[in-house]
Amino acid sequence: MLKILIPSMFMLLTTWTSPFKQLWSTILMYSFLVATLSLTWLAMPTDTGWFYINNYMAYDPLSSPLLVLTCWLLPLMIIASQNHLAEEPENRQRTYISLLISLQIFLILAFSATEMIMFYVMFEATLIPTLIIITRWGNQMERLNAGTYFLFYTLAGSLPLLVALLIYHSSMGSLSYLSLTSLPLTCSNLYANKLWWMACLLAFLVKMPLYGVHLWLPKAHVEAPIAGSMVLAAVLLKLGGYGMMRIMIILDPLTKELSYPFIILALWGVIMTGSICLRQTDLKSLIAYSSVSHMGLVAAGILIQTPWGFTGALILMIAHGLTSSALFCLANTNYERTHSRTIILARGLQMVLPLMATWWFLASLANLALPPLPNLMGEIMIITSLFNWSFYTLILTGLGTLITASYSLYMFLLTQRGPIPHHLILLEPSHTREHLLLALHLLPLLLLIAKPELVWGWTA
Amino acid sequence: MNPYILTILLFAMGLGTTITFASSHWLLAWMGLEINTLAILPLMCQSHHPRAVEATIKYFLTQATAAAMLLFASITNAWITGQWNLEFMSYSLPTTLVTVALALKIGLAPLHAWMPEVLQGLDLTTGLILSTWQKLAPFCLLLQINPSNTSLLLILGLASTLVGGWGGLNQNQLRKILAYSSIAHLGWMILVLQFFPSLTLLTLLMYFVMTFSLFISFKVNNSTTINSLSMSWSKTPIISSMVPFILLSLGGLPPLSGFMPKWLILQELTKQSLAPLATLAALSALLSLYFYLRISYAMTLTMSPNTLLNALPWRLPSNQHTLPLAITTSLTICLLPLTPAITALLTL
Repeated sequence: MLKILIPSMFMLLTTWTSPFKQLWSTILMYSFLVATLSLTWLAMPTDTGWFYINNYMAYDPLSSPLLVLTCWLLPLMIIASQNHLAEEPENRQRTYISLLISLQIFLILAFSATEMIMFYVMFEATLIPTLIIITRWGNQMERLNAGTYFLFYTLAGSLPLLVALLIYHSSMGSLSYLSLTSLPLTCSNLYANKLWWMACLLAFLVKMPLYGVHLWLPKAHVEAPIAGSMVLAAVLLKLGGYGMMRIMIILDPLTKELSYPFIILALWGVIMTGSICLRQTDLKSLIAYSSVSHMGLVAAGILIQTPWGFTGALILMIAHGLTSSALFCLANTNYERTHSRTIILARGLQMVLPLMATWWFLASLANLALPPLPNLMGEIMIITSLFNWSFYTLILTGLGTLITASYSLYMFLLTQRGPIPHHLILLEPSHTREHLLLALHLLPLLLLIAKPELVWGWTA
Repeated sequence: MNPYILTILLFAMGLGTTITFASSHWLLAWMGLEINTLAILPLMCQSHHPRAVEATIKYFLTQATAAAMLLFASITNAWITGQWNLEFMSYSLPTTLVTVALALKIGLAPLHAWMPEVLQGLDLTTGLILSTWQKLAPFCLLLQINPSNTSLLLILGLASTLVGGWGGLNQNQLRKILAYSSIAHLGWMILVLQFFPSLTLLTLLMYFVMTFSLFISFKVNNSTTINSLSMSWSKTPIISSMVPFILLSLGGLPPLSGFMPKWLILQELTKQSLAPLATLAALSALLSLYFYLRISYAMTLTMSPNTLLNALPWRLPSNQHTLPLAITTSLTICLLPLTPAITALLTL
């Protein structure tokens, strides 16, 4: 663990002391080294149990896929940001890279935390670099509003979480993950206990996001630059899912009744946000709402609290992370050429950029959960566990799958097929860098078809 | 100002606070507070600007009222208990009167109305002294008398955090924003006074460090409104990039050190079964965070990426001594991992 954390911390130093001509190559090389080393975390000699590095950091089959995803994403973010930062002054480029690296450090510390307060502090700590990336390097005036929504939605949810954790700590004495399994809070039907249950989950539901409190996400994803969108979609939403999975242990048995409205809200959100996707004019906004849709399914899977639910949620989180990040990279290739996110302005691109059309095709197929990709595996497991809980959810999840397929296909057909408008004939051809970026996103997804044991957690 | 006069006034301010620190007799404590007030008055109106004189008069009147209330409370205590010792105040009437008098002295809500107007009339350095040094003596007294009127303290604390949050939302003058931020932080300090007085001291010291960084950053840029901050990136790019962190630390965001007092206070309040109060106080901190965020947007996060075509202010070589700023900024940002050591030090 330290062989990954300490090099990541020292990459901050490398960012500021590299000669400027070699900055991007150096940082890319080091982040790839760190990402390769992080793959060792996936090797689990036993199926259950923790791997301890020290008293404060550990990983288990739930957190290791997310840790690997975090480390894998940093080189991808660096490749993606290289173009739009090329005209900036030197110190600002270094600052941007430092923000990305510090984000990775906080995320590693968050996913490997062994104690809930450490997780909470690192969960909040990821807000600051993300806020700076969105508000400083976003491209439109609305980015300030986006940053404010992002910060305040998340904080309004997580301050009650802090108080709830402190309540648990003062009555149970410890918030270490080890002891959480044996210390559920004694259940009584007091209203205060229900408020405590809500306070524990609200932060993660806002982060995921759940349908009613999702308004920050389209704003933040759309206004962020490409690295910000990538890290938000791929990893920061999963912090919410991971936190929910960890804290579910102490919330039994209140969850049996109290989770009912949230499962329904999550499933309704799948349909509503999917339908909104069908009417979007802004490409990044479409992908952002599609993220809400998939994460609604993840939230429902976690709240069901069955082994298949958790496994499906984790697989869907990893697969969605890679897919959504790939879609944002594709949208960014459009944006860098036309400087507009309007879908109808960049139509029929298969004629001009045929190789990019291949990536669009694969990413859209992944988004609509085509078998045998892990996206489908996650969705099927969640849908099955929901069906086991109640037959009627099949209506909602079936409809949701249908709508997901429609908007993914709609996005693909609208951007790639059809006649190409005249103003796009002279588009810059695809860079090798962009092909590399998308290959690195989609190749792990394809490889996961062969060995899903790596990402299905400790329950299956 | 004549350096001899300045020396005398600064020494007198130090003397006043020190007398209050060292006193165990109420009259001596009151005397220290009065010397403190009188010594800062010439500093406040040294520019002879009508606004500064107005601020000085307002400050004098409120502080004199508070000192008189303090004197009456100590006389009442002497009448009831027969002794003048600070620590042995066991009856509720004098204790409550002293608490309210000291609340007026430091500017807790609902006795806060003088604070924004007084700070607005001062220059940034005197404002800094008002926000930091002048709070030391009253807090020393508050920590020693151990007020036992829980509901009064909680009302003062909660009202201060809410007023500090809501009041600052409509301001674009930096000194008024700093005044409301001071009110909010003082509210947090008072909330935990009865349960864990060391945390009050910790919050006070952390607040001093953070506010010092912010005041000096504003002074380096010589700006008193949010709008004038927007040119600071060209004058002092590094200070401009550090100020968002100072502001977010004031807002209490982890992993910056401003989170430390809030975390420890929330922990203490939940231990005392005051969880709804803790939640309310935590959410009211979000109000202050909004205007801190707005300042950081104006100053740093909306830097123009390209070269500007309009006229910029002259960038003259500055001989400001920024070493204290460097030290306090580092403390404001990096102190959170030392929380166990600091709490151990304060509970010695």
